[in-house]
Amino acid sequence: MSKKQILDEFTNILAVALRHKIGNIVNPNEIYAEKYAKDSEILFKQAEKIKEQRNWNYRDKVEIKQKLIRKLRKELEEKDFLPDEKYKHMDPEIEKALKQLGLL
Amino acid sequence: MEKIKFIHRVSKGSRFNQIYVPKEMEHEFQSGDLVEVTLIEKKSSIYYSSDLINLSEFKENLIKNIFFELNKFKDIKQIFIIGSFLTQKQDYNDIDIILISEKNIEKEVSTLLVDKFELKFHIMSISENNFKLLQKFCPLTRSMFFYFISNKKFKLPKETEINKDHIRFLLMMPEDILKIEVNSKNFYDSIRRLLTIERFLENLSLNPLEINKEIQTLIGQNLAKDMRNNEPINDRIIKKLRNIIKLKLNKINLLLKKDE
Repeated sequence: MSKKQILDEFTNILAVALRHKIGNIVNPNEIYAEKYAKDSEILFKQAEKIKEQRNWNYRDKVEIKQKLIRKLRKELEEKDFLPDEKYKHMDPEIEKALKQLGLL
Repeated sequence: MEKIKFIHRVSKGSRFNQIYVPKEMEHEFQSGDLVEVTLIEKKSSIYYSSDLINLSEFKENLIKNIFFELNKFKDIKQIFIIGSFLTQKQDYNDIDIILISEKNIEKEVSTLLVDKFELKFHIMSISENNFKLLQKFCPLTRSMFFYFISNKKFKLPKETEINKDHIRFLLMMPEDILKIEVNSKNFYDSIRRLLTIERFLENLSLNPLEINKEIQTLIGQNLAKDMRNNEPINDRIIKKLRNIIKLKLNKINLLLKKDE
C-alpha cells in the first residue's frame, strides 16, 4: 500500500473510532457505557496498527488532522440519531486521539 | 444496672413487626420496662427470575453473603446478579453485579467485594430512572435481565417500546466491522447483538441461552467456541461472518421500516 493509501485507511478507521467514542459520550447508557467504550478502543487500536506501518513527518501530520476533521464530521452527520451535541466533542476528541497517537 | 439481653428474630404481626420476649425472661423484661433494640443481622432474601433453575447451595450462599455485604451501602436501591455465573456451572469468568443506585459506587463496592470474597466481580451501576427506560426499549438490557437473582422482587415489563435511535446506536459496531478488521470475539459479539435485536423486534424470547444456541446453529458449534475465546480466524471465515452480518442488518432494517 502506498503512503497515501495507508494515510487514508488510517484516518477512515480513526474517524469511525472517534464517532463511537463521541456516540458513547452523547448517548450515555450506564449499563453498556463500558462495553461501548470498548467498541471505540477496539477500532482505535486497529487505527493505531495501521499508523505504525509508516513514519509520519510534519506535513503528513497536518494532512492527517485535516482529513480526520473532514471524515469525522461526515461520520457524525451520517448518524442522524446522535444528538447535535456530538459536534462540540469533535475538536477535543481529535486533539486527545492525535496526542495519544503521537501525531500532535 | 446489669445488662440483660436476648437475641430473637423480628416476626410479622397483623399490624406491626414485633419481637417476643422469651417465656423464660418474662420477669426480666416486664411491661413498661425501657429497652433498646439493635439490628445485628439483616435478613437477606433472594429472588430468582422466573426461568432460572435453583442454583447450588454454594452459589446461593455466596449470593446471600454478597447481598449481606452490599446492604451496608445505603445508596443501593436494588442489587442484581446476572450473567454466566447464573447460567453456567463452571464456565464463567466473573460475577456480574448490577446496582440500582443514584450514585456511582462501582469502585467502592468492587474493592469491598474483592477484599471480602477474593473473587472476580464485574460491577455496573445505573440510576433507577435510566434502568426503567432501558427495560422497555433496550434489547440487550432485556436479554441481560432474562436470568437474574435480586435482593428484591423484580419483573421485566411486558410492554416494550421500539426506540429506533437506540437500536441504530446499537447497530453501529456490526455495521462498521463490515469494513474494518477486528478480532474474532468482536465478530461474535456483533452477531450476538444482531440476533438479540432481531428477536426483540420480532417479539421473540430474549433468553441468552437460546441466543447462544442460535449462533451455534448459524456458524457452527466449534467456530462459535473459538470466536468466544478470541481464536484467530481466516479470511474465508471472515467473509462468511460478514455475509451473516449483512443479512441480519438487512432484516433488522426491514423490521424497523415495517414499524414506521
